[in-house]
Amino acid sequence: MWWYIGRRALQAIPVVLGATLLIYAMVFLLPGDPIKALFGEKPVNETIRASIEAQYHLDDPFIWQWLQYLGGAVTGDFGLTYSQRPVSDVIGQAFPVTLKLSIMALIIESVLGIAAGFYAGLRKGKLFDSTMLVVSLVVIAIPIFVFGFLMQLIFGVKLGWAPITVGGDASIQNLLLPAIVLALVSFAYILRLTRTSVTDNLSADHVRTARAKGLSDRSVNSRHVLRNSMIPVVTYLGADLGTLMTGAIVTEGIFNVPGLGNEAFRAINRNEGSTVVSIVTLMVLVYVVMSLLIDLLYAWLDPRIRYA
Amino acid sequence: MTTPVHEIPVLEIKDLQVAFRAGKKLIPAVRGASLMVYPGQTVAIVGESGSGKSTTAHAVIDLLPGTGVITGGQILFEGRDIAGAKKSDILALRGSSIGLVPQDPMTNLNPLWRVGTQIKEALVANDIATGKDADRRVVELLEEAGLPDAESRARQFPHEFSGGMRQRALIAMGLAARPKLLIADEPTSALDVTVQKQILDHLDSLTDELGVAVLLITHDLGLAAERADHLVVMYKGQVVESGPAREILQDPRHPYTKRLVSSAPSLASQRLSSERARIQIKEQAVQTAAEIAEEVATHDDEFGEGQQTVVEAKGLTKDFVLRGGRPGSSTAFRAVDDVSFKLARGTTTAIVGESGSGKSTVARMVLGLLDATSGTVEFDGVDIMTLSSKKQQLALRRQMQPVFQNPYASLDPLYSIYRSIEEPLRTHHIGTDKERETRIRDLLDKVSLPAAVMRRFPNELSGGQRQRVAIARALALEPEVVILDEAVSALDVLVQAQILNLLNDLQAELGLSYLFITHDLAVVRQIADNVLVMQNGKVVETSTVSTVFDSPREEYTRRLLDAIPGGSIPLAT
Amino acid sequence: MPESYKLPPPGQERFLAPIDETPLEETGTLDTSSPPESQWKEAWKDLRRNWLFWVSAAMILLVLVVVIAPGLFTDLDPNRADLSKSLDPSSSGHIAGYDKQGYDVFARMIYGARASVLVGLLTTILVVVLGIATGAVAGFYGGWLDSLISRVADVFFAIPLLLGALVMLSVINNRFPDRGEFGAIIAVVTALGLFGWPQITRIARGQVLQVKNMEFIDAARAIGATKRSNLLRHVIPNSLPPVIVTATVSLGIYIVAEATLSFLGIGLPFGVVSWGNDISAAQNQIRSGQRIGVLFWPAGALAFTALGFILLGDAVSDALNPKRRSE
Repeated sequence: MWWYIGRRALQAIPVVLGATLLIYAMVFLLPGDPIKALFGEKPVNETIRASIEAQYHLDDPFIWQWLQYLGGAVTGDFGLTYSQRPVSDVIGQAFPVTLKLSIMALIIESVLGIAAGFYAGLRKGKLFDSTMLVVSLVVIAIPIFVFGFLMQLIFGVKLGWAPITVGGDASIQNLLLPAIVLALVSFAYILRLTRTSVTDNLSADHVRTARAKGLSDRSVNSRHVLRNSMIPVVTYLGADLGTLMTGAIVTEGIFNVPGLGNEAFRAINRNEGSTVVSIVTLMVLVYVVMSLLIDLLYAWLDPRIRYA
Repeated sequence: MTTPVHEIPVLEIKDLQVAFRAGKKLIPAVRGASLMVYPGQTVAIVGESGSGKSTTAHAVIDLLPGTGVITGGQILFEGRDIAGAKKSDILALRGSSIGLVPQDPMTNLNPLWRVGTQIKEALVANDIATGKDADRRVVELLEEAGLPDAESRARQFPHEFSGGMRQRALIAMGLAARPKLLIADEPTSALDVTVQKQILDHLDSLTDELGVAVLLITHDLGLAAERADHLVVMYKGQVVESGPAREILQDPRHPYTKRLVSSAPSLASQRLSSERARIQIKEQAVQTAAEIAEEVATHDDEFGEGQQTVVEAKGLTKDFVLRGGRPGSSTAFRAVDDVSFKLARGTTTAIVGESGSGKSTVARMVLGLLDATSGTVEFDGVDIMTLSSKKQQLALRRQMQPVFQNPYASLDPLYSIYRSIEEPLRTHHIGTDKERETRIRDLLDKVSLPAAVMRRFPNELSGGQRQRVAIARALALEPEVVILDEAVSALDVLVQAQILNLLNDLQAELGLSYLFITHDLAVVRQIADNVLVMQNGKVVETSTVSTVFDSPREEYTRRLLDAIPGGSIPLAT
Repeated sequence: MPESYKLPPPGQERFLAPIDETPLEETGTLDTSSPPESQWKEAWKDLRRNWLFWVSAAMILLVLVVVIAPGLFTDLDPNRADLSKSLDPSSSGHIAGYDKQGYDVFARMIYGARASVLVGLLTTILVVVLGIATGAVAGFYGGWLDSLISRVADVFFAIPLLLGALVMLSVINNRFPDRGEFGAIIAVVTALGLFGWPQITRIARGQVLQVKNMEFIDAARAIGATKRSNLLRHVIPNSLPPVIVTATVSLGIYIVAEATLSFLGIGLPFGVVSWGNDISAAQNQIRSGQRIGVLFWPAGALAFTALGFILLGDAVSDALNPKRRSE
């Protein structure tokens, strides 16, 4: 197993390098003034211009630029925002909030998605299953920000159960509604994935053998069906983090949650490209690391890899 | 097999009807099956695919797939009807009264749990033992099933076991709660024949010792006759004949049973008649082939030199590099080690071996689909590995064509039958459209398929029909040599017999030379003149078919012969 | 093996079923009653029987008609704003009323279809062409080509779709502020396509890896067909089913993605009539709870369209994979 882990970790390195290179290249390789690329028509005063040029080493050859930029990113130096705050400060304050929000969303979507998918799969074709299928499809077809507005309207404005915007107090209670919105699309995917997995496993040979031993339905379902159905879901969760982070930008924007996504949201709105690039780079790094960890979790869970 | 005591049968199936739901329709799978199993007895249900034998067995413990339903009849276990029993009653019976040994060892164990844990489940669920006691018992059960080093093996996962080991674990699981009846569903059909014999012998002695009755499901008549006291023959969901095993074999009365007995390659009757038939085929084939050789020798534009030996392999060796888990730990695996043989025109040479013997690799090297690490293959005097020009390579392809094992994968599912057979003609730019159509009709006729098949697609044909199409395609280019890589192994016995007859007829008519790869030594008698026995990449024995069967020299060959199910049963003729 | 012959126990004597009740069928009969049916035809028949297919097809057809001939549904101008009518509720001739700027909501909903559907369609085409080409080549030829393509795909795959599109679009939008409607659509399509192709590549590659080991490929090689001919004639056609399923669903997903990008302000510029822009502009209606219809008309149209494609994808998936039927 350790060789599998080592190989995966080694594979992740060129991916990180490549991804940051790609982001960097998108901004700085296209023809034209990179400052204009980052800020458009916004007036850029000398301090900002100087700091950007320093941060991105715009006078140096491209590869060297990128490497220094990468080095900065890895050590936490992301330069300054448009309002001349160090981006790393912003990140330090905002990241924990986003982390909290994402973990809440992850828990909500996994627990509900797996439970619903499991029962839907067990009772395939029945009312619960059909309802869940329709619900999941509708959820995927509606953009996340529409849900955000809807929830805000129903639970915030009309029912008053949750704050319309979160503002400064990022308590678990206040984050609940945004977390649910964030979790919605992933919940739908997890539900469908679990359901398919469960129905596949229900007709699997080894499940029939388990029944033949005299195990009760409950034992068979929990020990042989559910356990085996988890494997593809774990794999999916790794890719899901990317969706969560993107979704955080929208959700935090709508609910005004003081997290990293909101910073990105505002930076996009105000056309502050440098901040956007920095935050996205950080998100990508986090994503790659987290998917690597999920991969390793998967390796640990599947004895075929663990005891290869 | 002890003689049964005359008491109530442990299992009695009366007029069982099982159907499968497809949309709104009910498709019958078992139509009125009846049989009895007495305590301690072994009863075998024999049938081809679609006979309903597995369905009947699974219905006994209510393990039909979701769409299956019992529509009539009774299933009496020790006198009590369990066909419509409550779930809790069935659960109580499963494992402790009726055990199951399922068919495919690769898919019947949960890959995520240790083997020992899975066997322990059987003990716990049936209230036999728990905790440490259960762990000890698991090790005992595995030893009982013949698994060496049982204590450490119990802690391993299924993927660390070989196929044979997994089957033993499944046997241990089935017998764990000491049931009175064991349903064994084709317990060894996925294994090599020598392993098969070991495991079945073991199962026999174990069930005798424990006094367990066995309901054995199998497609192999010889195996059934060898292992069971009582035989039940099923065809298309009905029992067509049943009775004492020996009697059925020596005096089959139903037309279906007669066909089975005469087609089963492993049975004695095949030996004599097939040998005689083979000699005739060979004579004719050799004659026709010699005429072809004349042609080739005298015409310069024909590929080859017209020699007697149409294919010669010298010192063929193939090494594969297996990449290990860590860098730098790759090992070289020698799949084929110094294999040499000659194929004479108009004859059939069979290459026989179990899995891992390298026989298929040899076939692919001869076909030119795989490069040899060392050694040569000469086709009619021409070294095929030195062919440089495209034209020469194409010419070689016209002389040597394959027929593969899996009828479901050897035809492109998106091509119509016409297109599939036309492909070789098109690739070699042979004939006009009209000429090609005539040729294809002719080929279909040769393989006894109606011309209407042309417009159909592979998914509409049965396995046997697809294999005929594959043969027609192989013959499209008028090759001299056909390489048959396990070409009949995936077919039902009766269909297998038909295809073998077809191959023999074609050989006589067209003077073909065959290289016949198979794991089934019994089939060899019907189709081959010379045999190469391979094991672990090396040739163990080479001789004529009659020598190998009547006086084998090597130990391994003897073991292979010995393992042929039903090979030793004397028959009436 | 018992040496002596004993009488069989009761119930196990010799039994022979009556021959007329158990007739032998000819092995290998061909059913010539129905016309020939390839796999695609079988799948099509399955598809036709699925009511969800008809529902989704109808939905998509409706949307396509709206895209091609918006004039059939409204004769109002979506680009004409009358500020005096700002946020007026529905009235005769204006069933959805007016939005904040005074645009007719219904007209904008009708005309908004074009941009959204175009983005979805073009992105899907781009992604499928790129994905099949790279995935098939990588899977079929293997070796260094496979490693190269897979690594590149991994790098693009590592950047989540919208994050990547976000950065790319914010840069493009700044560099080309005067790109116009068509330019804007191309920009969004490129941004989404650039980060969406690895998904198709992986699927195509996986299928190709399976198909290339099937025996009919070996048979074609043995006939003398070239590798390239095998790839084009046998491998790729047989690798299409999962790609088709994913592409259909992706179409719906790209439409939703465009809306999200427009909401963030970096999708289609405000001059272009699109659902995303309208929904985004209607935010304040939600906050105040007044005239939420202004948001729900474009949002409903968007969901309707996306749902149509996703449902179709589901139906196609079931038809191509009969074992997974969800009925």
